[in-house]
This record gives sequence, C-alpha cells and structure tokens, in this order.
Amino acid sequence: MSNFVDRPRYLCALGGAVGTLKVLPRTIPIIHAAAGCGGNIANALNGSAGYLGSGYCAGQALPSTNIYEKDIVFGGEERLEEQISNTLRLIDGDLFFVVTGCMVEMIGDDTLSVSRRFRNQGYPVLAAETAGFKGNSYRGYDIVLETLFREYVDVSSVKDPKTVNLWGVVPVQDVFWMGNLNVLKSLLGQLGYRVNTFFGEGETLDNLKGAGSASLNIVVSDTFGIQAAKVFEEVHGVPYITVPLPIGSAGTERFLRTVAAALQVDEAIVGQVIAGEKARYYAYLERLSDVYNDLDLQRYCVIVGDSNYAQALTGFVADDLGWLPELVVITDILTDEEQKLVAGRFGGFASGIAPRVVFDTDAGNMSRHFNDLWPRNRSQRYYDAFSPAFVIGSAFDRDFAEKLGAPHLSVSYPVSNRVVLDRAYAGYAGALRLTEDILSVLVGNR
Amino acid sequence: MDYVREKAPPVREDRLQTCNAYGGNCCDLAGKSKQGCLIGARRTFAQAQGCQLNLSLAILNTIRDSVIIVHGPIGCGGSSASSAGINKNFLKLRDAGARDVPWINTNLGNNEVIGGGEANLRAAILHAEKEFRPSAIIIVNSCVPAIIGDDIDGVVAELQKEVNARLVPVHCEGFKTRISASAYDSVYHGILRNLVYPPEHEARVMPDELEDLKEKYRLSRTVNLLNVASMSRADEVELTRLLKALDLNLNIMPCYAHPDDFQGATEAALSVCICATHDDYFVEHLKERYGVPFIISGIPIGIRYTNQWIMEIARFFKLEDAARRLIAAETGELEQALIPYREVLRGKRVLIGAGEIRVLAMAELLRYLGLEVLGLRVHHYDKFADAMLSEMPDEKLMYNVATGQPFEQANLLARLQPDLFVGHTGANGLAAKQGPPIMPAFQQSGIYMGYNGVFEIARKLARKLRNPAFNRNLAANTRLPYVQEWYDQDPFSYIDTGDMPVGPVEAEQRNAG
Repeated sequence: MSNFVDRPRYLCALGGAVGTLKVLPRTIPIIHAAAGCGGNIANALNGSAGYLGSGYCAGQALPSTNIYEKDIVFGGEERLEEQISNTLRLIDGDLFFVVTGCMVEMIGDDTLSVSRRFRNQGYPVLAAETAGFKGNSYRGYDIVLETLFREYVDVSSVKDPKTVNLWGVVPVQDVFWMGNLNVLKSLLGQLGYRVNTFFGEGETLDNLKGAGSASLNIVVSDTFGIQAAKVFEEVHGVPYITVPLPIGSAGTERFLRTVAAALQVDEAIVGQVIAGEKARYYAYLERLSDVYNDLDLQRYCVIVGDSNYAQALTGFVADDLGWLPELVVITDILTDEEQKLVAGRFGGFASGIAPRVVFDTDAGNMSRHFNDLWPRNRSQRYYDAFSPAFVIGSAFDRDFAEKLGAPHLSVSYPVSNRVVLDRAYAGYAGALRLTEDILSVLVGNR
Repeated sequence: MDYVREKAPPVREDRLQTCNAYGGNCCDLAGKSKQGCLIGARRTFAQAQGCQLNLSLAILNTIRDSVIIVHGPIGCGGSSASSAGINKNFLKLRDAGARDVPWINTNLGNNEVIGGGEANLRAAILHAEKEFRPSAIIIVNSCVPAIIGDDIDGVVAELQKEVNARLVPVHCEGFKTRISASAYDSVYHGILRNLVYPPEHEARVMPDELEDLKEKYRLSRTVNLLNVASMSRADEVELTRLLKALDLNLNIMPCYAHPDDFQGATEAALSVCICATHDDYFVEHLKERYGVPFIISGIPIGIRYTNQWIMEIARFFKLEDAARRLIAAETGELEQALIPYREVLRGKRVLIGAGEIRVLAMAELLRYLGLEVLGLRVHHYDKFADAMLSEMPDEKLMYNVATGQPFEQANLLARLQPDLFVGHTGANGLAAKQGPPIMPAFQQSGIYMGYNGVFEIARKLARKLRNPAFNRNLAANTRLPYVQEWYDQDPFSYIDTGDMPVGPVEAEQRNAG
C-alpha cells in the first residue's frame, strides 16, 4: 500500500520545527536547507494558520543557508558556519536554533557538529535534524522539544511541587494554540499551580530553562509531544501524564479531575474550581436557551480534524451542544497503536453518542466515507436525510460541506478563511467562543 | 532556441546569466551585467526565499481540470494549502463550472529515500486518474527524488498508456537554481513537451469555403496572450478590452487555461508577453517549432509602457493608426481623471520592490504621477530589464537585486525614510513594522494593468496616504529582529562580489582574444 497524501494538512518535520521555533520567545530559527524550503514554509504557515504572519524572525526574514547545486556537490558545512556566525552578528535573539532540510542530510552535512562548535564558544546555538523525509509537522514539533529538553533545560535535582509543564498543543498546527495554552494554564492556576507552557502568553526562555524543576509534565495529547515527554523523564526525572485536549464542560471536567488526581489535589478544591467554571459557563449558555429551542439549532455533524481536535470537538458537540456527530475523520498520520489509543477516546460520551471514526489523511475521500455511513436517497418519498447538518473541519472541507449542503466552520489546519489571534477553543472559556462561532454561522444570514 | 528534446530546461543562471545579489545603482548594474560578472555574486547572510517548485505551483495550481502531484517529502508544496480556498474562486472567474485543482503529495519518507520513490509516484498518478478523472495530471519533481534518482519520465511514459489524463512532468527541483524565475522555463518546458501540439481539425462533410476563409481570417488576428500568476482577472479584462479594440482575438494562457487550450497556441498569428522576463522560453520555442512570431515588450503598467505595448502589437498587424486613435482616446480621458490624484501624490517619496519588470514599470508610472522614486529592489536581474533600465532618467538611482532578503530592505527603509513603500507579497508585512503606508506591488484581485490600472494605482496610493495609522502603530509597538548597529552599516555589506567566477560573456571575450 502506498502512502501518498491528497492535500496534506501539515508540513514536513522542518515545517513543524520552524512553526514551533518561530513562536518560542526570543528564539531565532536558522534553516540549513535548499532555498525554497523557507519560502514554502513561510507561505504555508502564514496563510494556513489564521494569518499568523511572519513573526519576529521568520516568514521571509527567516535566516536560511539557501544551499543549491554547488553546495550539494561540495558540501554545505562551510556555508552553514558562515550563516550562523553572520546571524549571530546581525540578529538580536537569545536562542539560535538550527534546523535542517532534506538536501543537507542526504549529502551528509554534519550540522550538529558545526553548531556545537559555536555552542562551545559560548554562543546560545542549538541544532536538530529535521529533514522533511523524517515525518510531518508533528514530528518536527517533537524533535524540537526533545532537543530543548535534552540540551537547553537545566537539570535540577530540586523539584517544585507547585510547578508543572504543559505541552502537546502544537503551536501553529493547532491554529488556536496560543489561546488554548492560556486557557489551560489559567485552569491549572486555579488549582494552585504555576504552569510553563513555553509558547503561551507571558512565557520566557527562562521558564523553559527552569522547566526541569517541575514536578509533573502534562501532555495534552495522545499523540503529539509523547517522545519529548519520554526524553524529559529520562533527562530530568519528571514523570508525565497524557490527557486529551478538553473542550466544553464534560471534557474540561475530565481534564481537571485527571490532572488533579495525578497531582493529588484535594477533591474539594477541584470540585470548587469546576463548580465555579461551570456556573460561569452556564450563565452564558443560558442565553441560548431560547434561540436553540425556538429555531431548533440541533444539527447532525461531521467532524474532520487531527487526533487532538477530533475527540475534543466531538465530545463538545455531543455532550455540550447536544448535537449528533455521526462521522469523525481523523487526518494525521498515525501508527496502528496510536490509532487504537485515539479511537478509544470516542467511547465514553455522556450523551451515549458513538460516531463512526475513520482514519484517513486524504482530503478527497470525505464524501466516500459519508456515503459509506449514510444511505442515499433512492427516490424515497420518506427519507431519513442527514439534515440539518454542520461540518467542523478545515478550510479543505468546505467543498465537502457544500456538497452536503451544510454550513461549515474551519477549526483545524489549514484555516485560511478566518483570522485567528488570541481565540481559544479549549476549556470552558474556549467552549463559549466555539459556541459563538458555530451558532453565528447558523444565524449569519438573518 | 531548442531545448524541448531535453528532459529538463537549463536553469536561468546558465541560460540568461540571471543574478540575484547586487547593491548599487542602475547605471553601474547595466555595465556590470554586460561584462557578465554579476552571476557569481552571493550573500554571506541570507534569508528564506522561494524556489522554482514554489513558483511553478503558483502557475500550475491554476491549470483548470488538472491534478497536481508533488513528488517529494510531505512538506513540499505545502504552501498550496494557504491558497486552496481562494484559488477555486479565481478559477471560477474564468470558467463558472471550474473544479478545484487538488494536489497529491507522494510523501517520500526514510524508506523511499533509501529504496526510491517511483512506487509512490505510480500509485499517486493512478489515484489521481481514478478519483478525479482530470484532463491533465501534472507531476512536479522536488529535490529528494532528483537526488535519489527516481526516473520520473520513465514512470510517466509507462503510465501514459494506462491513463486518459495527459501526464505532464515538470522538473523544478529547488536546489538546482537560485533564480526562482527558472520556474517559468520549467513549467513551459513541461507544457511544450506534453500539451503543445497542433490541434486536429476534422474535415468538413460539406465543403464551405466561406467558413474556411472566416476561420483563416480569425486565426490571422488571434494572439496568444501570456499572462502571469500575479495578475488578476480584472487585469486580464482590461488588456482584453484594449486588444479587442484592435479587433484581435485572444488565447489567454498559461494561467487559468485548460490543458487543451495550449494546442491553439500553435495556430495563432502572434504571441504577446505581458511580462518581459516571463515567457521567452515559451515564445521562442513556439516560433522555432510552429512559426508563431512574438513580442516581448516591458509590461503594460503605466501609460508609457501600456502605450508601447499596444503600439508594438498594432505595428505587427499594421494597425498603427487605429492604435494611435485608441491611445489618444484612452489617455485623454485618463489624464483628466488623474488631476486630483497628482495633487495628493506630488513629491511623495517612494521605495519600490518586486519582480524586475514590474518594478521598472511601476517606477516609471509613479514618477509620471509626480512621486519621487528613491530606489528599486528587484527579485532578480536579467537582460530583459536592460531596455527599461536604459530609459531610466536617473542613472544613479539606488538599485538592489535581492530575492526577498528583507534585512537589506529594512536597512534601506531606515535610511531612506520613504513616505510610501510598494512591495512584493511576503516583504510587505516586514516593511510595515517600519511604519510607511504600503501598496502591494500586485494582487490577484484589484487592477494594476492598462489605463484602468493607472487610475486604480493612483487612487490606491492616495487612499494609503490618507490614513497610514495601522502601520504607524505597528512601527511604534513592534520591532524587527536586526541589531541596532545594522542600520548604520552599508545595506549591501553581506553581498560577496569577490573572487567571482568569470562570466560567460567575459569568458567569450577572453577566448576570442
């Protein structure tokens, strides 16, 4: 079986690495790659991630060796050395991180040694090999985190019981990463914990450097950042737990209880936090009591997303909105083991809704999966139609939604038809935003 | 010119001595280029730029009823995701029934790097055929398969017997060239080899000499109008309006054309380039193989170059008098409309950056409107700019050849402090952090070409000047990543012109001597 992908919803490992590094505070990514890798990544990340922009030192400003044919023949190490030293001279940053493209790895450039020479001279230079053929954006995120945890985070024998680290929400690839990290940090803050999220608001490289003194790592994913968590545990002796990304009341309550149990937080405190958040959440949702019931805003639903979002969105529409998510398509490239793990997240919804869950990377296959699930109208007079319906997916899934005659909201990458700034969909606060966005589509032409 | 027999075209460094690293002035540049010594220039600090694969996709993603296969690791072609939504709308502007142009990535991983990627390519082609039934399947080849030695043309030759779609391999591996404009040649090469051939005409059952004559007459007034991916439908409508006024018919291509449209190119009376550096590879081959003559003349932006463009086409068809009347009517009305804008724009200082031909024409237009042009930044330099450069009134005008490289732009903006910046997509957001109001040098919506383009550019510039608050606030509250000392240094200090290899012209002179 071949593994081509019809319209991938991610870049390569290099793309994921750049996406991760460009939003790490005061960090300057340097790519050692053919000219074009940087340009491709710049255009992809800006236009596909809610208009993220070039950032501090990426986009067209991203330092790049731009190697070409001559370097392929003679090797690109000299060019890399020149580029690093001139980047240090020209760019104001606190951490310089070299990541590689396919060509330089195929010709055998020793990027790590070149970078280490700078580090040995006292320059803050790290490097990792992120050739595109090593995997997709999620892999690049993991490689960058692994390198940071191994080589940048200080080893600390003293652990602070009130500090935790949280990752697994992949910057840029989760277009709402910034808002989501802020929400999760604030929730755990209510439990009495300082949280390093590395990429959220107000984070600094110092938080990252001191992350070794945390007492627990919380990976908000079954699939992303797991390798990095293992490295962290190995190097710094900090254990990790994995929890699925929470959206809405049921999911967030589960999230808080799981984390609290691992941290042995007093049940009464967790209960108080949950009660307070739920009170606020329902004080707002109460407003929709009329419109939801007067206009009948219940919908059949198709959800398309990566393994983080698919279960979170499904749980939210099933258990919070009371919708009928009949079909879920999970679009990242997963091993059989990961698929099993992810599929397991679709069993326990309070509403009892059990959607068909399909793993498929190909954008063109949505209609086929839908037709497999839902019987067509064979000119019956009385037909159980998939209507009224709604599609939550990416910008790629608009066509499918149009074919279905359903309205559509882009949540997972690529999101080219929305502008996203600090918007969050995680937690209770995020679920309110998501409710606003989904229902606004439904009342949008009134 | 005859490269069509080769699998891939030569890169532009070799074919045209194109360069992309220079800082100085127009006059000096023209002198250096004639000595052929720019080609070896390079940067010792560089920033991300596009490759020929990226730019190839900008054209190929518009070919209607096609599927693109990006043969490479999973990230190659990833930028298509950002424009997929809007691309369909642009396609529909040309053909209301147009479908989306999907792309498939062959996802070359560790295994393929060792064992070869041809099986992935074969599977992707068969999937594209079965799933989408397109008229053409266009295969763009990236760096990795080129290094591991995948035989793209072999796979294509083998599968062409099994699929109905025309298979079009495009060899546009990024590492082969620093000049992303090599993409134009790579794309045209694939089109020339696989989509350009004389159409079959069925013989009439009943002879009809009058209809035959009409058809012959129609073809004698049919022009291949070669568009660029950076222009809009509105630009096409404007140029179509002007050429229709001379009673000419148009085949508009390559962007947004249907794969079958390219056959018609062989029967046209003339090929006309919209941008001088874009199409020489295509039109030279059309001339060589099918006897279709061509005109390469600047770009129809601004009154002077629009007039020149129309007159050259008119001259070919011996329609000079009609063209003069058209130009007189158009410019008379336009000049009246420009009066209030000249007031607003007079003396405003502007820095311009984008592709060389656009920049040179834009500079001419903005000068004409009364602005003061402080300098030009162009993505590359080749001989197609020479005529326009020689018409530049200020020979000492600052001239920077750079594909992107916004660190040089930042230094220049800080130095020159222009009232306005006109720039290429991707460079504008960085320039904005230095505060000037910005007009994008092109957009796929909006209009820049012909007489209507002149008016709209004037109107847009005036609008930008009316409220520059957004960028001014950005400048006050954000910063670029360069150290402060950079702004005191020579903007071109990272261009290495030393120990440059001898250029081909010089080598020729030496050999002759």
